[in-house]
Amino acid sequence: MPTKELPERSEITIIGGGIIGVALAHELAKRGEEVTVIEKRFIGSGSTFRCGTGIRQQFNDEANVQVMKRSVELWKKYSEEYGFPFEQTGYLFLLYDDEEVEEFKKNIAIQNRFGVPTRLITPEEAKEIVPLLDTSEVIAASWNPTDGKASPFHSTAKFALHAEEFGARLVEYTEVKDFIIENGEIKGLKTSRGTIKTGIVVNATNAWAKLINAMAGIRTKIPIEPYKHQAVITQPIRKGAVKPMVISFRYGHAYLTQTSHGGIIGGVGYEEGPTYDLNPTYEFLREVSYYFTKIIPALRELLILRTWAGYYAKTPDSNPAIGKIEELSNYYIAAGFSGHGFMMAPAVAEMVADLITKGKTDLPVEWYDPYRFERGELRGQALQMG
Amino acid sequence: MRPLDLTEKDPSKKVTIYFEGKPYEAYEGEKIPVALLANGIYWLTTSLQGRKRGAFTFGPLPIVLNGMKNVDGRKAKVRDGIRIERQNYGEFQEAVEIDGTKEPLRVVVDVAVIGGGIAGIGAALEMQEHLTVALIEEKGWLGGLMFLESVPQGGFDEEPRKVVKGLTSKFNENLRVFTQTVALGVFDEGEYFLVPAAKGDQLVEIMAKRVVLATGAVENILLFENNEFPGVFRLDFALEVINKWGVAPGRKVAVVGRRPERIIPELEKWGIEYVVVPNPKRVEGEEKVERLIDTNGNVYEVDAVIVSDYRIPDINPITQAGGKLRFKRGHYLPVLDSKNRIREGIYVAGSAAGIKPHRANYIEGRLVGAHILREFGYEASPAVYREQLEEYEVEGMPLPVIDFSMNLEDVQICGCDVNFKKVDDVVKSGIKDLQIIKRLTHLAMGFCQGRFCLYNGALLVSQRTETPMGELDIPVARPPLKNVKMKVVARGE
Repeated sequence: MPTKELPERSEITIIGGGIIGVALAHELAKRGEEVTVIEKRFIGSGSTFRCGTGIRQQFNDEANVQVMKRSVELWKKYSEEYGFPFEQTGYLFLLYDDEEVEEFKKNIAIQNRFGVPTRLITPEEAKEIVPLLDTSEVIAASWNPTDGKASPFHSTAKFALHAEEFGARLVEYTEVKDFIIENGEIKGLKTSRGTIKTGIVVNATNAWAKLINAMAGIRTKIPIEPYKHQAVITQPIRKGAVKPMVISFRYGHAYLTQTSHGGIIGGVGYEEGPTYDLNPTYEFLREVSYYFTKIIPALRELLILRTWAGYYAKTPDSNPAIGKIEELSNYYIAAGFSGHGFMMAPAVAEMVADLITKGKTDLPVEWYDPYRFERGELRGQALQMG
Repeated sequence: MRPLDLTEKDPSKKVTIYFEGKPYEAYEGEKIPVALLANGIYWLTTSLQGRKRGAFTFGPLPIVLNGMKNVDGRKAKVRDGIRIERQNYGEFQEAVEIDGTKEPLRVVVDVAVIGGGIAGIGAALEMQEHLTVALIEEKGWLGGLMFLESVPQGGFDEEPRKVVKGLTSKFNENLRVFTQTVALGVFDEGEYFLVPAAKGDQLVEIMAKRVVLATGAVENILLFENNEFPGVFRLDFALEVINKWGVAPGRKVAVVGRRPERIIPELEKWGIEYVVVPNPKRVEGEEKVERLIDTNGNVYEVDAVIVSDYRIPDINPITQAGGKLRFKRGHYLPVLDSKNRIREGIYVAGSAAGIKPHRANYIEGRLVGAHILREFGYEASPAVYREQLEEYEVEGMPLPVIDFSMNLEDVQICGCDVNFKKVDDVVKSGIKDLQIIKRLTHLAMGFCQGRFCLYNGALLVSQRTETPMGELDIPVARPPLKNVKMKVVARGE
């Protein structure tokens, strides 16, 4: 049941109504641009509403640290303006051996250089932050209190509502079927509900980006593949039981935290793909329960309410592809977020809106150059959880 | 006898239990909420928002048992000297015992039948001569609702419990029955389906080549103010306390809902005083129901309310296993092929496929059993069962019309503190998609995963946005089908 009619034409059309597409539509509409989002199901339905809620600046390279620092500023600003839950409750990486500690010391130095106040703390300090932790094997922890988490549901819905207030059109339950291209220029999109004439098109479909690129006839090598990642949530418990996002590479590359509703949410590094299958598996249920109860023994007695799956749309270096694709005169991509799309969205919206409206941006967008794969200039692996 | 005992209990099992520090008479092996009910205690737990809750409506029942928090009060049984206290939903046990994880018990059969009601019994009986079958039942008994009814009905002439007893006495050695065992889902494993299940703290992995979903129906949750207050009984719970445990829901009860005839014969049989109130508006009381007020302002002094309405198919096992839904005559129903399958290898029988009389559910169980027999190369006559089944009609449910003049904050959609106002406010803010409303309100995202609440959520969205029920995007259930503790499913070292 489509919520809005498909307009006859739009200056800018964003394919994909996840947090990236919605936040970008919000940013463009706010700047006075005419923009339409086409979403094949409902906003957030692809991967955003399935995400683990975390927002962190603790990355291992300058570009992602800078972009995430800006993103956190925007998360804070919009959560206050629009009233959705965003809490700076920190990210706590539990470290179990010297090698891990050395690695994180390097990351912390990069983060500190850009004003992100991460520091190495003792297991005792970690236990003060999350008293439920089993720190018996932990030798240190990397702690940044300004990282945080947000509700994907409330934030995406608010960005969507305000985008519409600024004049953006969000067309749900409408699937893009093909591109209409003349002389290297996109003229329109064929959809399940008719044709829309359009100027600029942005591919914000993340897990489906390779399919949209194929429809657009893009030959440039932009390797983005969908991988199934699963998550779990427990019964809600009293607020404040697990404030930060807790990460343990030792125990299954696990990440877990408490949602604003009270449940313990998270996942582990249990990956399948490339695939478009999203059925939760029994193996995951057993793995995640094993690792989570190792990190926080009290979780043993909590009820699991649900598991589900979403996509990590992965590139070979776990960094997204963001920028203009020169094969067509009016085609952009912002996809392949490799599990970081939700946290990066506000900054990505700003970057891409800058590129579209000004042709340049102050944020280090070149790090995400979509042509790097073709040139064989892969970036260092972005630090990835789960 | 205790205040609400209907029958004499075995004196050799008489023990003392303590609730909130005070001693009460109880009987070894009784369910804790039943023992407390017999003593007139209804309020056992408190929701996250501080609403008082009992054991017999909906929502979870976490209690403190011998100092251990977050114990499922519905599963715990009476032992001599146990101490029980109330708790809030959000409380949990911080210091836990870490005993080694038990290895799962693996069971390999031809067919896994999920649900030991009359349909599951029918399917098992049909197949047991030639095939190995695992029959998985969550409750401690087989026969589902029929085990709880004492008055003949639903196309069988005998007392329902006797019918069940007669049929289950024919079970042979090819059939393995797992009671008090909760199926967690259906997973594809190549030529097999994996049905993991929890029997207490023991994980059971059932490998089967075919699966029958005989998972039944749930009671429709009636919408009135304080509809989950201690002393409000879901029909299946009312039948259970009366006929299984010999305890009355109250001294004087009000029967509400559109199908009072489902409970009245039982009340009359036991001589429980009742009043039928067709138009309830609100229940009130301090710690339990003390009065019911109807929409005309009439006040009924009662100490329990039994909701006797329609049943709705439990669609969660259907959607988790990959089935599609359609909306027909008031119900969401599985889309089935000519063999009653949602897809290759997975069959549906009984109330899960549509509400109908007990006998029809039994025949439908035999029908899918016959189809499966044929798939394994054995003689069977599904056409005969199909013909018999067609003599029965599938029940429709008139769509309830929501009374928006109620105090919507006190009308609970589910046990997870999702009230009607919360949902209605989101709809009013301009969001009309059930999928998004679900995520903004946590409707269908809590303990029951929508088993009880999704229908009413859909109803509200449908009526507020004037969207037909059949056009709503209905969320799919995810494993585990029923809540399970992490320690039960955690893999070993």
